[in-house]
Amino acid sequence: MSIFALDQIQAQLPDALAERYTDRAGEVWGVIKPEHIKTVATLLKERLGFRLFISMDAVDCLHLPPEQQEPRFEVVYFFKNVERNEHARLKVRVAEGADVPSIRAVFQGANWAERLVWDFYGIGFAGHGDLRRMLTYEEFKGHPLRKDYPLRGRQPLIPERPIRDIFRGPGTNGVQD
Amino acid sequence: MASGDEYDPTPSEDELEAHLQTRNMVVNLGPSHPATHGTVRLRIELDGETIVSMDPEIGFLHRGFQKSCENVTWTQVLPYTDRLDYVAALANNFGYLTAVETLMGVEIPERAQYIRVIGAEMHRLASHLTTAGALGLELGGFTAFLYALEARELLTDRVTELTGARLTTSFGRIGGVNRDLPPGWVEKVTKTLIKVEELASEVDALLTRNRIFTDRTRGTGVVTTEDALDFGFTGPCLRACGVDYDIRKAKPYWVYSKLEFKTAVGHNGDNFDRYYLRIMEIKESISMIRQCFAKMQPGPVMIEDWRIALPPKEDVYSSIEGVIAHFKLVMEGVPVPPGEVYHSTESPNGELGWYLRSDGSGRPYKCHVRAPGFQILSGLKRMCEGKMLADLIPTFDTINMIGGEVEQ
Amino acid sequence: MSDDKKVEAAPPKPPPPAGPPAPPPPKNPGMVTFTVDGKEVIAKPGTNMVEAVKQVGVEIPYYCYHPRLTIAANCRMCLVESSGAPPGKLVPACQTAIGEGVAIKTTTDKVRDSQRSVMEFLLLNHPVDCSICDQAGECKLQDYYMRYDFKPTKLEGGKILRNKRKVLGDLVVLDQERCVLCTRCVRFMDEVAKAPQLGVFGRGSHEVIDVAPHFGKLDSNYSGNIVDICPVGALLNRDFRFRARAWFLSAAPSVCTGCSRGCSTFTDFMGQDVYRYRPRENEAINKSWMCDEGRLSYKQINQNRVLSSVLGRGADSREASNAEAVKYAAMKLQPLAGGVAVMASPVASNEDLLAGLAFARDVLKAKQIYVSGRPAGAADFFLMQADKNPNRKGLEWIAAAYGLAVKPFTDLTAALDAGTIKALYAIGADVPEADEVFAKRTEKLELFIVNATNTSKVTAAAHVLLATTSHVEDEGTFTQEAGITQRFRRAFPPKGAAQPSWKWAVDLALELGNEIKAMSSRDVFRSMASAVPELKDFAWDKLAPMSKIRPGITTMASGADGRPPGWREDGIPNMRGLSTPQGTT
Repeated sequence: MSIFALDQIQAQLPDALAERYTDRAGEVWGVIKPEHIKTVATLLKERLGFRLFISMDAVDCLHLPPEQQEPRFEVVYFFKNVERNEHARLKVRVAEGADVPSIRAVFQGANWAERLVWDFYGIGFAGHGDLRRMLTYEEFKGHPLRKDYPLRGRQPLIPERPIRDIFRGPGTNGVQD
Repeated sequence: MASGDEYDPTPSEDELEAHLQTRNMVVNLGPSHPATHGTVRLRIELDGETIVSMDPEIGFLHRGFQKSCENVTWTQVLPYTDRLDYVAALANNFGYLTAVETLMGVEIPERAQYIRVIGAEMHRLASHLTTAGALGLELGGFTAFLYALEARELLTDRVTELTGARLTTSFGRIGGVNRDLPPGWVEKVTKTLIKVEELASEVDALLTRNRIFTDRTRGTGVVTTEDALDFGFTGPCLRACGVDYDIRKAKPYWVYSKLEFKTAVGHNGDNFDRYYLRIMEIKESISMIRQCFAKMQPGPVMIEDWRIALPPKEDVYSSIEGVIAHFKLVMEGVPVPPGEVYHSTESPNGELGWYLRSDGSGRPYKCHVRAPGFQILSGLKRMCEGKMLADLIPTFDTINMIGGEVEQ
Repeated sequence: MSDDKKVEAAPPKPPPPAGPPAPPPPKNPGMVTFTVDGKEVIAKPGTNMVEAVKQVGVEIPYYCYHPRLTIAANCRMCLVESSGAPPGKLVPACQTAIGEGVAIKTTTDKVRDSQRSVMEFLLLNHPVDCSICDQAGECKLQDYYMRYDFKPTKLEGGKILRNKRKVLGDLVVLDQERCVLCTRCVRFMDEVAKAPQLGVFGRGSHEVIDVAPHFGKLDSNYSGNIVDICPVGALLNRDFRFRARAWFLSAAPSVCTGCSRGCSTFTDFMGQDVYRYRPRENEAINKSWMCDEGRLSYKQINQNRVLSSVLGRGADSREASNAEAVKYAAMKLQPLAGGVAVMASPVASNEDLLAGLAFARDVLKAKQIYVSGRPAGAADFFLMQADKNPNRKGLEWIAAAYGLAVKPFTDLTAALDAGTIKALYAIGADVPEADEVFAKRTEKLELFIVNATNTSKVTAAAHVLLATTSHVEDEGTFTQEAGITQRFRRAFPPKGAAQPSWKWAVDLALELGNEIKAMSSRDVFRSMASAVPELKDFAWDKLAPMSKIRPGITTMASGADGRPPGWREDGIPNMRGLSTPQGTT
């Protein structure tokens, strides 16, 4: 029941909240406008006590019923207020190619989570600063969790990487020339 | 030396006091290293013995968990969940199933809930014993590891009798569990628990007051409460920092609200607290399983709705209704209505969350797993930088990074 | 029960028993306004409830109702509660026309009870057959059981046994035990096929469908359709029976090439084989039907295929790679430019002809083309046409737009016999005379190049045989006899080394120094169809979309649905360690 969080967001940042709804399990979700997500995350953490970063991920809406397909991606955020025992379930809708402001500066845990979303969905996070692939490798083509990425998609073979960072002996600073 | 003019064997005072000119050294710990339990590569830059910077590189065990889940029926996801935290497969199985049931709005029979608690707690025991034992092993105490593994092996045997598999259990189904406890199993487990308790006490006695062990774990791998929350630590790692957050208490699911247990909370956030918290939880889990045995009543273990549960085999073979239900459930999958849910359970390592989305077909549209280890591992850099390399090993152990769940 | 409230909150309605003193004026003049489960619907007067409620997404289950047949209302599955009905009675939604201000309820306990009872009765004597039934996966009994019944059987004792394999005709076999007696097949044969050969015989629970005695067997050319409209697994296609499970088949929107009618179809395929054609809704051409002859015409895609190019004739013929074949053909064509006659088949798609005829005009310097094609056959009163070529109209349009004179086939045979033609380039190997006769005529040719899909006597006579794909292996369009252009989609990658006819034309043109810029049939259409006034406005990309339009179980994204590994909708299969298969663009 994240009624408290959403009520507070509605009261303190009325522009940020685009929509709120209740899912079938009775939990409340808030749809945040993309440009406000960092402000909302800051509000949640600094003022409302949602200090525990739970998780974030995205959904590719490409194969949903037509009326739900636009915009293409939904980024979901979960935070926890341990004292109030309450999860905040937030959602940001973003079109393909658009960036979402990074909340890495607010929650350090979002660092890897945003990298994971970037890796899987190709959603950029503006201001992240270190948006590398998380689980796949840097030569990977495409973003595997997009619905148009084939299930049995194969990746081109890549040449062996020159190993630059393995320690080669004293005095070489670990780098072999 | 004969021509001693140039060479003076006694170094001057300046030379002795001068700082040894060294350059930082880069060491790769892993991907295959005895102290990294999964296949993780830690690229560590060392200044002497001090870690200047580190960058964990993960993904060696990436299996495309989510993509696989999106292309199989809701029930077929179950074997994939075994492979997340493979030390505690039952906790994943039941966590996933509970999330799907929440999405469907289904309440499972009470006996099935008891069985889920028993299974989850048995695998919590197994997980904690492994962590504690392996921590001892890596700090030089091989004996503790043997005791812990003996206890875990006993539990694995009981799990095998229940589920038919040692590790990849795939136990439980949407709507309950697929089979009741085998006859005589409760008595066997009761005996096993006595043995496990003894062995856990041995581990406790061997490690907790051991001088070497405490020296290497106390005050190492410290994480502050703020950082722990910020990075998304949950489970023992968060509780070791003094935050009393246990989903079994905070949002009781299954029959946890009917059981009496205490949540152990540390206050230093160091390796020793994380270790000792697990020893405490082992005791609580054993007590919980015993309470379950005392409280559970005979009854159905699966809801009786042919839209969700597979019909009994005799109906499948002898009636058209049964064969249709079986066919549709197996080929099309359980019809989960369109919607979304975030549901979490307390796995041995922390909050195991599921963000599931259904589009009304028989397959998950989105199956996000919030693996506790992923967030914890992302905080490893903060915990280790500026500390000694030797402290990395116990730290890496007590955060209990499991490649299967971190790398999906 | 917000539904009830809303209904009551709507404009005051007198309770039905009171008798309507003055019916309220219609809310929307000319239309009928009513509510279903609380949702307001506006429909044309006379629409039945089943159709009218579809527009707001309410589904009423039915077996016997079919939009293109008369209404029997005998399955009782569609019973709903209606405020216009006598109190306590349910009405069959398929038969009842909507009335002004009527409130329909489809989800009340009473309706649910009735649906459950109907399902229970239908399944009472149904054999335990799903595991051996062809219909499994696309069966209405299965769908509705899971949606409306989902309870165990109450039957004690045995089921009534009937004939399990009653052969009705050459194409259809009936399992009388599985039949739910919806009589769709009886009505179809009577009303659409105009051959009332089927009837219901017997009484009570011994009622069965059978062929009327004086007909002997079901021999209508439209008998295959009753398999499609059978909601259960009673009527089965003898050709398809036991050959594939429905959920392993993928479907691609396609067009039947059996005759110039060009019925819209789905091509059901697995791997690189077609298993069946099913008619696809097309109000303008085939409604929901197709003829048996066309239905079985899929076989030519699987059988006697030319899988690689062949150079040389008779004893010194040899198989060759596509690149080699192009080089060889170009070398042979080079000295003959201007003297090569072109024979084009109206079986080829518009894209093949657009590129092929451009090649003929610009590279071979042809002024006229000879039209080959399949010989004329039987026609009937309904769909089947005498002209067995799917694209004659398209051929004529394209030839006219390109300024090529269209000469009949007889001119070609006369010229061949007279020996005035030295070389012949043939798009398609179908000829409207006996194959061996035509093969004989071509013996004197110095060069005979054929694009062919299937082997025949004609292809055996070719100097250069270019392996060509069938229509389901590439995308394109056909223009049927009435001038309707239809799009077909690619089902699977080309078999063997075959490549589309347009691709051969492009390759040959390039080799002969006259580039046609096209990498796919889409390119061909986009760059060349603008020259053809009838085709230039055709929405190539939009029509007949690949989608999930497929009855029964949704197939998986790939893999288990029978596609070869690595196969995907767009792009070349790129398998580790294997070279790229040719001709897949």
